[in-house]
Amino acid sequence: MTEPSVLRRYTVPLAAGVLFVAVALAFFALNAPAPFAVFGAMVQGAYGDGFALSISLVKATPILLCALSVALPARMGLITVGAEGQLYFGALTGTGAVLGLLHAPAWELLPAMLGAALAGGALWGAVPGLLRARLSVNETIVTILLNYVAIRLVDFVVYGPWKNAANLGWPATVSFPAAAVFPAFTVHGTTVHAEFLVACAAAAALHGLVSRSRWGLSLTLLRSNRRAASIAGVNYARNAVAVMAIAGMLAGFAGIMQAADVQGRLQPDISVGYGLSGFLVAWLAGQNFLRIIPLSLLMGGLTASADALQLFAQLPFASTVVLQGLLFGSVLALNGWLRRSKA
Amino acid sequence: MHAAVVFLAQLLLAGVRSSTPVLLVLLGETLTQRVGVINLGVEGEMLVGAAGGFAITAVTGNPWLGLVAAMLAGLLLSGAHALLCLGFKVNQIASGVCVLTLGSGLSAYYGAPYVGRQIAGFANPSGFASMPALAPLLAALTPTVVIALAITPMIGVWLYKTRTGLIWRTVGESTEAARMVGIKPWRVQLAGILAGGLLAGLGGAALSVDYTRTWVEGMTAGRGLVAVGLVVVARWNPWLALPAALLFGGSEALYLRLQSLGVTVSPYLLSTLPYLIPLAVLLGSYRSARRTGGMPQELTSIFKGVQ
Amino acid sequence: MKSTILKQILLTALLTGSAFAATAATRVGYVYVGPKTDGGYNYAQDQGRLYVQAHVPGTRTMMAENVPENENVEQVMERMIHSGATVIFATSYGYLDFALKLAQKYPNVVFMHCGGAKTAANLGTYFADMDQAMYLAGMAAGAATKTGKLGFVGAHPIPQVLRDINAFTRGARSVNPEATTHVVWTGSWSDPGKEAAATNSLIDGGVDVVGMHVDSPITVIQTAEKRGVYVVGYHADDEKFAPHGWLTGGYWNWGPMMASFVEAAEAHTWKSTQSNGDLRDGAVELSPFGPGVSAASKSRILQTEKAIEGGTFSVWQGPIVKQDGGDVVAAGATLLQAQLDSMDFLVRGVVGSTQ
Repeated sequence: MTEPSVLRRYTVPLAAGVLFVAVALAFFALNAPAPFAVFGAMVQGAYGDGFALSISLVKATPILLCALSVALPARMGLITVGAEGQLYFGALTGTGAVLGLLHAPAWELLPAMLGAALAGGALWGAVPGLLRARLSVNETIVTILLNYVAIRLVDFVVYGPWKNAANLGWPATVSFPAAAVFPAFTVHGTTVHAEFLVACAAAAALHGLVSRSRWGLSLTLLRSNRRAASIAGVNYARNAVAVMAIAGMLAGFAGIMQAADVQGRLQPDISVGYGLSGFLVAWLAGQNFLRIIPLSLLMGGLTASADALQLFAQLPFASTVVLQGLLFGSVLALNGWLRRSKA
Repeated sequence: MHAAVVFLAQLLLAGVRSSTPVLLVLLGETLTQRVGVINLGVEGEMLVGAAGGFAITAVTGNPWLGLVAAMLAGLLLSGAHALLCLGFKVNQIASGVCVLTLGSGLSAYYGAPYVGRQIAGFANPSGFASMPALAPLLAALTPTVVIALAITPMIGVWLYKTRTGLIWRTVGESTEAARMVGIKPWRVQLAGILAGGLLAGLGGAALSVDYTRTWVEGMTAGRGLVAVGLVVVARWNPWLALPAALLFGGSEALYLRLQSLGVTVSPYLLSTLPYLIPLAVLLGSYRSARRTGGMPQELTSIFKGVQ
Repeated sequence: MKSTILKQILLTALLTGSAFAATAATRVGYVYVGPKTDGGYNYAQDQGRLYVQAHVPGTRTMMAENVPENENVEQVMERMIHSGATVIFATSYGYLDFALKLAQKYPNVVFMHCGGAKTAANLGTYFADMDQAMYLAGMAAGAATKTGKLGFVGAHPIPQVLRDINAFTRGARSVNPEATTHVVWTGSWSDPGKEAAATNSLIDGGVDVVGMHVDSPITVIQTAEKRGVYVVGYHADDEKFAPHGWLTGGYWNWGPMMASFVEAAEAHTWKSTQSNGDLRDGAVELSPFGPGVSAASKSRILQTEKAIEGGTFSVWQGPIVKQDGGDVVAAGATLLQAQLDSMDFLVRGVVGSTQ
């Protein structure tokens, strides 16, 4: 992959942004009496005030982590759609640690919770990686199937063995103790959870690793020419498993953060399609870890504005899903067209 | 003994009934993959088929028109996949996810006014009362079930025994080779994608118009995506599509049935079976047919990596 | 052209909410977990909203549907409050903790939660004894069945659903002591494909009357009708979906209850309570009878309904025996409200599991 020219680096995102605004306005024009007003309501609902910004950040964080967990395997040519399942499974194992150490102090509980969540996510990612490496089973297919399994396993524990009896049937564990909650702080009325910063740091670290280290190069080598890579001593199987495991950790971290910080317990519906949104973001960003950060904020804002659009413009929640699809499609097409016209 | 036979026969029927939407999508996706294109968007195409078919049935009162509308809706949306990955050479997985997102958004958005509407489904087969022993069989053979069971062998014969079938398979194996014998691969690939969209739309309508007579957003609940996985289980062979679909539908029917018999395993654990059983078969069959094993060669480059 | 732009700007101001707060009308927010047209749980709640809008002068309602039971509902309710809502109906059970959190943050907003067991100074709950109607529906089912096997499609094994299954079974066995209820869990409040499959599996197993407790009953009702068996409804009066097989069913009538809360909030006389409606006050109604209910069965059911309304008969008076034969309540005693709220067992006569 050659580095895009400076000009392209700025014109493409700009063009994509213009394209998105045009597409969104066209969609609103078709469906609402005052498209500009609806667009304004959408922006307002996503970034208009501290409250809206806080919500957008809450949504952007898991999307960012899931996007990273899609982009890293893509570096060596693996296409995973498994972030959703890894998120759920990480939340499951992390919650297991919390329930085992309910009364432990934070310095014991937090590492145990994080460790268990990362291990769970890693496992749920490593399995398709291993199957891919050892049996050549397609990782896209396996991750799709494992997504559903993980979601149902969470259902199983919250309706079954881990259900808090005091909930009178409401499927959820007991509330997590304060020791399991990550810090958050407020800047000008906007609440920022620490995990958002962790996610940004992870993006930066991955960017540095992949663009500068020997390991990053070996991933690129594995993608472009597996045989040459193996001659150069780069092991496909080991890297496939490692990359998928790290991807799983990232999503698993998103999962336990959803449980611990956002819901305050494990329950069904801890994700509203964050895995899929992460996939969109990773591809919108062209698998570039740094570019994933602003795009996650965009996608998080879009997701957050859904209820504002419903409340104030009477557009069904699905309107923002349509917009996500339109945005993704137009950017894919734009990139494809540029690549072809350059060739 | 008799009871066991009846139980198994009923299970098979129930499996066929609940597999039909998946079977139709699976057949369509098999055709798409046979020309060397993978389409994860079938989930979205299924949804627009379910919503569109239901809406047209609600408006016209004619479920057959609903099926036609569903096929059109699926076909149109699959056109987006064709445009992106044939026209703009976008990665097929990414394009598929785009179509999936669009389909679930569009169906939920434009389908919202039809949630909770009552539709005239297909009439019950006649002779219900006079042959009570056959009632379960007749009840199971609703129009979309019959259509699915009928087109499965037709597609099988067509793909392996006809000239155009050979052309499709050639394109799937090597667009280069196809070009050399004067075939325009993009045309065939376009046809393959559209055929897949048409059948995915029909599969959606099989679920909404025929099987449940209900439309609610997201009602396919992943059946389309599972069908993409089942294509691999069926080794890209339409003749194996029915047993592969039955793996999914049959395990769903089985776990519901076990409950009504008083088996006390958690329904949540049992509900992982429709995903774990195909996965197990996938692993088992990969042992014997490692690497190539029926996968169209053009697909291997997609599965190999990001473009 | 200019006027269009002006209109746009005006609308933007309107849409972004600030203008709402200025209007004098009481704004009432409703949040639903599913589509308001589901012919079931959410439909019944939305009928209540329409009643409030029509019968309480000076109110304006707003609603959001398809809001999942996670932090999203907190955000939606908070947006409603920001745009002027002073009464909020959190209509789904899983909204409770999120509503409690917001109640603390916004002490001047009245929250009403459906079905919860916790309250706060500005959060009350409302529910109604649907099990009374389900007992009566069970009587209709027990009288109508030829095979003696009744079926029930449940979403999740939680107390409210177990209550309905037990009441239904007790009603059926009060007229047909040999009747059994076979239970299948779909594991989802809304998955029409599975609901149809579950109904079919019950009917294949010999069940000839089907009941259900899922968010939208219409898939089960239509599948039963298609297979030519009887069905009892739930949440809403859905007889039109099964003109032949319809027996009866229970439906919610939230309107008057909701209106009284809103009126009290307007008059500043609202107090946090756990309101519980029943057949007598009309919060729960028995659906009209279908053709499958005989005249004798009808009169017997109506007699029991009178006894329930008159307080001379309780659905939960002993003896009540569990599936495994264990006693819950001896003859002469009655289950307490707390025991109903936390019900975790199935009664004798039910085939199925609570796991």
